[in-house]
Amino acid sequence: MNYQEFFIKAKENEIEESELSFGKSKSLSFTVYNGDLENYTFSNNSSLSARGKYHGKAGYVNTEKLDSSTIPFLIEKIKENAEVNNSSDELIIFKGSEKYHNKKVYSKKLDETPADEKIAILKKLYEVILSQDKRITDIELSYQEDLSEYILMNSYGLNLKSKSNFFVIYAEVIARQGEETKTDGKVYVGQDLSQFDIDTFAKDVVKKTVSQFNSIICDSKKYRAILSSDVASSFLNFYLGHIIADEVQKNTSHFKGKLNEKIASSKVTVEERPLDKGPSFRSFDDEGVATSNKVLIDKGVLKTYLYNLATAKKDNTVSTGNGYRSSGKVSTALTNARLKPSKLSESDLISKVKEGIYISDVEGLHAGMNGQSGNFSLQARGYLIKDGKLSTPVSLITVAGNLFKIFQDVMMVANNIENYRSVNSPSLLIKSIAVSGK
Amino acid sequence: MISKKIAVEVLNKALATGADFAEIFSEETHSEIIALDNEKCETSNDNIVYGVGIRLLRNLQSVYGYTNDVSRAGLMTLAETLSKSFDGERIKTVSELETKKVEKKHRPLIPLTSVSKKDKIDYLLKGCRAAKAVDEEKIVRVMASFLSKEQSVDIYNSDGKYIHDERSRGRISVSVIASDGEKFESGAESPGACKGFEFFQNEVNIEELGKEAAEKALLMLDAKECPSGQMPVIIGNGFGGVIFHEACGHSLEASSVSKNLSVFSNKLGQQIASPLVSAVDDGTIEGAWGSENVDDEGHATHRNLLIQDGILTSYLIDSFNGRRMGMKENGASRRQSYKYEPTSRMSNTFILPGKSTVEEIIKNTKFGLYAKSLGGGSVNPATGEFNFVATEAYIVKDGKIAYPVKGATLIGSGAEVLLKVDMVANDLARAQGMCGAASGSIPTDVGEPTIRVSSMTVGGRGEKIN
Repeated sequence: MNYQEFFIKAKENEIEESELSFGKSKSLSFTVYNGDLENYTFSNNSSLSARGKYHGKAGYVNTEKLDSSTIPFLIEKIKENAEVNNSSDELIIFKGSEKYHNKKVYSKKLDETPADEKIAILKKLYEVILSQDKRITDIELSYQEDLSEYILMNSYGLNLKSKSNFFVIYAEVIARQGEETKTDGKVYVGQDLSQFDIDTFAKDVVKKTVSQFNSIICDSKKYRAILSSDVASSFLNFYLGHIIADEVQKNTSHFKGKLNEKIASSKVTVEERPLDKGPSFRSFDDEGVATSNKVLIDKGVLKTYLYNLATAKKDNTVSTGNGYRSSGKVSTALTNARLKPSKLSESDLISKVKEGIYISDVEGLHAGMNGQSGNFSLQARGYLIKDGKLSTPVSLITVAGNLFKIFQDVMMVANNIENYRSVNSPSLLIKSIAVSGK
Repeated sequence: MISKKIAVEVLNKALATGADFAEIFSEETHSEIIALDNEKCETSNDNIVYGVGIRLLRNLQSVYGYTNDVSRAGLMTLAETLSKSFDGERIKTVSELETKKVEKKHRPLIPLTSVSKKDKIDYLLKGCRAAKAVDEEKIVRVMASFLSKEQSVDIYNSDGKYIHDERSRGRISVSVIASDGEKFESGAESPGACKGFEFFQNEVNIEELGKEAAEKALLMLDAKECPSGQMPVIIGNGFGGVIFHEACGHSLEASSVSKNLSVFSNKLGQQIASPLVSAVDDGTIEGAWGSENVDDEGHATHRNLLIQDGILTSYLIDSFNGRRMGMKENGASRRQSYKYEPTSRMSNTFILPGKSTVEEIIKNTKFGLYAKSLGGGSVNPATGEFNFVATEAYIVKDGKIAYPVKGATLIGSGAEVLLKVDMVANDLARAQGMCGAASGSIPTDVGEPTIRVSSMTVGGRGEKIN
């Protein structure tokens, strides 16, 4: 398709400003269920999104049909949709940032490794997991590899490109002992298959699963607690929802009016690092604004809200490069945010607790976490901590508290950080959490 | 979209390494979504889904691929990539494709594409205003949407068949938030059909719909917290059938039955429900939301009797899982789009009407919960245990509706609830939903007459009973 022709035709049709984004993806996925290959899927797909300002109003359209009919279709629909749109959200087409920091995040080697070799890795992983413990009854392993190319162009001549690929290996293990069934999972995200350590991964997921046997329901009371990296990351994700300028402007953010004030424990420093090399690397957002690594919360003090072009204009400031598209429209989102790790290991944290609880997993976040008030009541599992060591496993307990209090109560931060979620945290030692058990 | 000649070439390329079946699924879907928030059009968007999926089967192995590079070269490359998954000799060749005649039901009289966006907005506004008018002060937000979707499908397979089908669907939604300044409650109505604009003009009363959604939200605003405990539960007709869909219907799909993962595996001919329960999955109902002329493998849809007087009579079977079960497909293979490999799914699934009246059921209940309409819920597929929220519910006392309650959740397991149905009314109704599973999100109807379950666990924040 001739993209320039779109911009010329758009002008002729009184579409004052316009933008095109073209995404191309290639993917390979499969499952190895109890040793057998299933759900082998390969794809090669592309799609085009366009938006434009017509008589001062915004029109949006998407298509996967790329041929000679595409340009007239895009123009017709932008006009049609703009005509009926009376949304208060302003459409801003960006002229470009001064500088973009590009990094190579595409691995030709991963792309060109034959599928057979990837299947062999998962089959080997299956054997190794199975050999770890006799109580394992089912193992579901999945492999997903995505290559995405993205081009963003607009009527001001902006033309930005990105290309990246990575793979995800996910394992889910079910183990049974008598009447007890326990399940757990583990994720690995990477770009270099040779760095994937089958033995360590297998040992870890099996340990997570079988160490839950003979679990008890512990006493109801307040415990000194360690939140696992998984749980802390989920909590941080809800917490950072309040740093989005949109929420502040709509009066739904807990952080309104708290810029440069202390909102969390001084152990808490949160940064957004979209420019770190890794699966979430982004040098520009979906509006074409250059991204940057920045501190959001510095030793407990809130340093900034996050903006896209439209919300920045409302506050008379500049976009922080956080405009990401969700179902057509551009909203605000985080890329590779993390609570800054310390030098201490998770075991160092555990060793500081004489009596307490380690929360390894919580369930039902969507129903049990009120993101607005921060109040939560969640089904959880984990281990009791005694004399600085993990002891009896606990399950079917409920933990309750308040999200904002949790981050004020952080006493120590560990070093076990991952980078595959959009928001990551290492394990955290917190003053106390209310547990309801027996 | 693809000529028969190219389709034959692609199928033969795919079959080169020993696949015993090859299929091309080609699709072009145009959809339009319009959404209003407090009478302002906040979203208006058009979208085209366009591409081809190729599936190869060899015994009990399947591989799938998709692309929207629909050129001859693009399709041949995909066919070759997929064929590399097998390493045998060719056992099948396609010489020509015969066009299979498809009976064209479910055709719109007034195609939704012929109605302007402005007319659709004006239509929705009538519902929004009617909702607001119920209580100008307490109805704080009214949202409405109009979805129009036209799907054109072409299927070519190594059995030498070419099948073409067109599906046209429309669905609206009016949802309301009521508040007294402290508490917030919501109510929503979302009818849809495989029909054109005539459905919305003649069969849906948009003002009445807005009014109902508003009244539901207001009723819940003043309701007491639901008590918890074991009690008889009357489940309302229409969307109440979502429990049957989630907790029983999914367990009748060949994808889980064939692998012995379902509680109903190997139970054909056995009693799995109360003798009062008969249920069907019917993809042939004219103009229904979950209907289609042919499924996504090109087989004619069926009316499948799943349960007759409590006895399990049939599963929902796609041809691939049918291989594992040694059973023939029954028109139940569906997928969201060309990006998904098809598998056994529901269409319009509902419990058949009985002989009681709703009045009789209420009159015969000394104490219990009447869950008149249900909202979302979740099911654990391994155990069939479910958890659903009632969006409109009442306590029944001494054979009469006593007072509305909010926050009621119904907890149980599908297999157990079916056996405990002790009254079935004659007021069968269906309601529309989107069902998500391995082959994506697809339109389905759920449904049932009003039924009573003799005992069920009810969760709520009110007093604890027994």
